[in-house]
Amino acid sequence: MKFIKAAINISDGLLTVFKHLFRKPVTLEYPEKRRELNNNFRGKLTVDGCIGCGVCKRVCPSGAISYEKNLNGKVLSYTFDLNKCIFCGNCKYYCPCGAISMTKEYELASANKKDLKLKYNIGVPEEENIKENK
Amino acid sequence: MNLLYFMYMEYLAKYNIPKLFGDITFYIIPFCIIALALLIIVLILVLAERKLLGYFTQRKGPNRVGYWGILQTLADAIKLLCKENITPKGVDRFLFNLAPVLVFVPTFAALGIIPYCAEFTFVNTSTNVILYLILAAFPILSIFLGGWASNNKYSLMGAMRSIAQVISYELPVTFVLLSIVVLSSSTNLTGITLAQYSRAGFAGWFIFPCIIGFVVMFVSILAELNRCPFDLPEAESELICGYNTEYSGMRFAIFYLSEYAMLFANSMFLAILFLGGYLSPFGGYISHILLGDSYLASILVYFEQVFWLFLKSALLIFIIIWIRATLPRLASFDLLKFSWSILLPVSIVNLLLVVLIKFGGLL
Amino acid sequence: MTITTFKLNLGPQHPSTHGVLRLILELEGEKILSCEPDVGYLHRGMEKMAERMSYIQYLPLVDRIDYLAGFFYSELYCRIVEKALNIELSQRVKFIRVIMLELNRIASHLLWIGAFLMDLGAISPYFYAFREREMILRYFEKLTGQRMMYNYFVFGGIRRDIGYIEDIEEILKILPVKLNDYERIITENPIFISRTKGKGILTKYTALNYSITGVNLRASGISYDVRNTDYLYEGLKYKPVVLYSCDAWARYKARILEIRESVTLIKQVIEYLKSCSPTEQKPISPLNLKLPEGNYYGEIEAPRGMASCYVESVGEDRPYRLKWRTGSYYSVNLLRKLLVGNYLNDAIAIAGSLDIILPEVDK
Repeated sequence: MKFIKAAINISDGLLTVFKHLFRKPVTLEYPEKRRELNNNFRGKLTVDGCIGCGVCKRVCPSGAISYEKNLNGKVLSYTFDLNKCIFCGNCKYYCPCGAISMTKEYELASANKKDLKLKYNIGVPEEENIKENK
Repeated sequence: MNLLYFMYMEYLAKYNIPKLFGDITFYIIPFCIIALALLIIVLILVLAERKLLGYFTQRKGPNRVGYWGILQTLADAIKLLCKENITPKGVDRFLFNLAPVLVFVPTFAALGIIPYCAEFTFVNTSTNVILYLILAAFPILSIFLGGWASNNKYSLMGAMRSIAQVISYELPVTFVLLSIVVLSSSTNLTGITLAQYSRAGFAGWFIFPCIIGFVVMFVSILAELNRCPFDLPEAESELICGYNTEYSGMRFAIFYLSEYAMLFANSMFLAILFLGGYLSPFGGYISHILLGDSYLASILVYFEQVFWLFLKSALLIFIIIWIRATLPRLASFDLLKFSWSILLPVSIVNLLLVVLIKFGGLL
Repeated sequence: MTITTFKLNLGPQHPSTHGVLRLILELEGEKILSCEPDVGYLHRGMEKMAERMSYIQYLPLVDRIDYLAGFFYSELYCRIVEKALNIELSQRVKFIRVIMLELNRIASHLLWIGAFLMDLGAISPYFYAFREREMILRYFEKLTGQRMMYNYFVFGGIRRDIGYIEDIEEILKILPVKLNDYERIITENPIFISRTKGKGILTKYTALNYSITGVNLRASGISYDVRNTDYLYEGLKYKPVVLYSCDAWARYKARILEIRESVTLIKQVIEYLKSCSPTEQKPISPLNLKLPEGNYYGEIEAPRGMASCYVESVGEDRPYRLKWRTGSYYSVNLLRKLLVGNYLNDAIAIAGSLDIILPEVDK
């Protein structure tokens, strides 16, 4: 009796696994096919319309954000160091003027560490900054 | 074998090639064919296992190298060939290097005694079955050597487990083999195959009078091959990789490939014992049905026989992979208990039943 | 006859220690005589870091204490700050948090099921569990922007209002069906039962002595669940899962039942959410966030046992001292007792059944 029950259970498991043989694989072949990303996705940072208040630097947990000041204490440019960035989204969330946004770009591997330092000059149109950081 | 031999000799005699040359090459040429075929089959098996495991778990398995991942195992083999052979500190160098060399020997020998078709067996001794039984247990020795020589606690544990496993699973196998011998009144694999012939095709297979024996044998072969759920010697989650933890590069590849070669050999063996070997499941051969009694048909029949044998063993391999996808691993003590307290008595009862069937007039 | 024992380092690199746990085992053959867990290989100084960072800076890091159940620690930390600042949460925010927590619990348990069975040698359930977990993680990514490090809860609310409820409903529809699949493969499988039933018995007394909490405690017959007194769960019908067989099998079954329980919880919450309109919650200003002087303490039922956090503030914008209590840490300590007298392959099953996650242990 015990054996029959055991055999039934094992064959039940075997059949359940066998069922999956005919299902479509859920694998996604990554470089060719990609997952759809939502707008909420937290990827590479971009800045547009910064007023230089410095909140982002204060909320950043990993010290990825630094800025350059001129002699008067006015903030000239921001540097986002993606080497340190943990993509937590704090800077974006707490930015008072919505200047920081996170793109869907997540393939940030680079052979050059300098490529991952994004410098944004304040008061310069967005396109130029983007061009500079390419 | 005789027919082929005479055909070959006749062919050579036509061109005045001495008989000695024919005598030697008659054995060497098929060996090369088998060695090459084995290598290809093993590569296919590795791919098949990975692919099947993939599909069982709703993945695709290897799909990058070559179309549909066909060249994946080849690429892996080449990669392993190029890798450094690390010999760790404190190992018994001689045994450590010997073990992977030894592991392929019994596999080749075992393949030599399998009847692939009616006319083709390398070593057709009258006690093939017993020879096979011994050879099938041999790879464990090199596993043990490798595990012992590795100077690694995990390897040693894996080696010890594999020894315990083989000792306890050889016995049921022997008893089941005995029942097959009783059924077929022969200790020759070709004889066993032919004893399963019937006009109705698969009705004569020994799986029907000896179904219990088939199950016992199947389970024991799983254990001998260190396949899941009896893969204790290399239990990945417990012993990291068991006996071949310290092996790398080509030595590891040899262990890995020999495992599949042995899987192939054993599944063929199982097919011969229970599923009628090279016999067609329909009674008559397709080539005879299609082409009548022509000369071509009499040649094609041999290939068809090989095909049937391979198909049957492929089916068994599929089931083995299927089981691997499903079942968890047994605990080492349950494993021994299972063999001694369940499989062994059952196999003895099976022998008794078979004797009753054979000589009690039940068949 | 002399009995020789030897020491075995299980880990820190080992396939089934789920990270970098090191167990120093004293073995006699395969029997474990003593076990000494050595933790700290993944120590990141989570507690010390808190002292150097403002509350708002530390919040994203809290997810990383347990990468499988980030929401719980996030919620716990938010809860303490909210308690200190006397922030009242709206019912909607509370329930959104409940959804996130329960989905996260399901994802965590699913991963555990997969990993546990992988330890036992079953392959398929691992991938099946990951398939369902992937659905949950994709939903999290849609909503929060990342798969595991959510940073979704903020002091006094949530980052953005919940959306894509139809995705959750899809998950809830599929999950129970798939759970039935797992149970058919595993729960009654005789090999699985022989590996887990009666193995690693954690009696009530020991569990209390070692301050085990969470599912492990409930599988030992003590109905202690922080969710019963949690203010987030007020108004929800919830039945704690209590099993009495105290062994590894009970711990497995309890987790399966808990997933089912979480599904019913989420269903209740979704019904409520559909009836009420979304509300805007303004984040509190990060610049002047200072906790009034005093001690703050909060606790939550995380997937791996009760998690609690203690914050001592001296009125600065950062804690003077912060202390995490995580469930896994106590489970690791329990290995010292549970493993002794067992065999190595049972040890893997027992250690696996306790659901130990190393980042949580080492913090």
